[in-house]
Amino acid sequence: MKKLFLFLSFIAITGGIFAQKKTTTAATVAFDASTSVDALPKAENKTAIAVIDTKTGVVQFEASVKNFAFSNPTIQNHFNGEKWMNSDMHPKFTFKGAVTDLTKVNFEKNGTYTISVTGELTIKGVSKTITAPATVSVNGGMVSATSEFSFKLADFGITGVPIDAGKVAKEPKVTVSAEFK
Amino acid sequence: MSNTTAKRKRWKKPLIIGGFLVVIGVAVAYWFVATEKFADTSNRKAAHTVNAIDLIKEFIANDSLANKKYTGKIITVNGTVSELEAPDSTTVNVKFVDTTTGSFLNFQFQEQHLAEGKGLKVGDSVSIKGSCSGSIYSDILGTTSISFQRAALNK
Repeated sequence: MKKLFLFLSFIAITGGIFAQKKTTTAATVAFDASTSVDALPKAENKTAIAVIDTKTGVVQFEASVKNFAFSNPTIQNHFNGEKWMNSDMHPKFTFKGAVTDLTKVNFEKNGTYTISVTGELTIKGVSKTITAPATVSVNGGMVSATSEFSFKLADFGITGVPIDAGKVAKEPKVTVSAEFK
Repeated sequence: MSNTTAKRKRWKKPLIIGGFLVVIGVAVAYWFVATEKFADTSNRKAAHTVNAIDLIKEFIANDSLANKKYTGKIITVNGTVSELEAPDSTTVNVKFVDTTTGSFLNFQFQEQHLAEGKGLKVGDSVSIKGSCSGSIYSDILGTTSISFQRAALNK
């Protein structure tokens, strides 16, 4: 009985450490659409949900549009409004993709690995394929990842006078970071 | 001096003053918007005070109604801390999880209250005030996530 208990405990512990799918509900997604004319259009969301499958390399992110925190209330209202993100209709940003060069990462060995991720970014109901560089760090079974990329607002049907007037960057910079468990 | 020139001179001064006032007005309005900040949540009055698990159940029962009722409002939530997750070294997110469904409330703290979350432990009975950002259904987790921003401990 004791041996069985020890065996089951071992399975549970190693299963936890080496589980294929690692998730978090505290990933950070930040974007910066500020310009020399306007420093306000930037925000971050620290409650994004993310998963990485260490066997298949599948990576997914979901972020509530309404939980992007701006420093300015008016800009935050505009961002969520019908003309911009229309967050009532499209409440989340998603990314579904995979690590393109999974052989570069050894999830069982501590280290920092530079990789590339390709997948579908969906904003305001429009999906586009993007490829972004990313850095994966493995430390004692913990996996963390960061990525930085930009995209064209027009590709997702986001247009308007503030963009043409140079108050909002045409290609905002996006930074994603996650510590998976 | 002709009549027309005299009339033009009579209107010139008010027009210049009017134009100047319009420019000043636009500049003041722009300055007001550009420097506007969110109020400290700890000083805001909550629109609703609810129990964490009851709130999750309300969103699961009818997310449309719950989103209309709570989204964009300051809510005080009372409950037991289920999880703490650190998005970075400066803060932690505080979660209340309904263990029967896996659905959860997730609070990100207001800048001046970042340290408050770090002082909490799993199992602590707390009261947190925050601006409700509504719910999303997570395809990754198969659960409902209800998020809050600009949170502060309700002292």
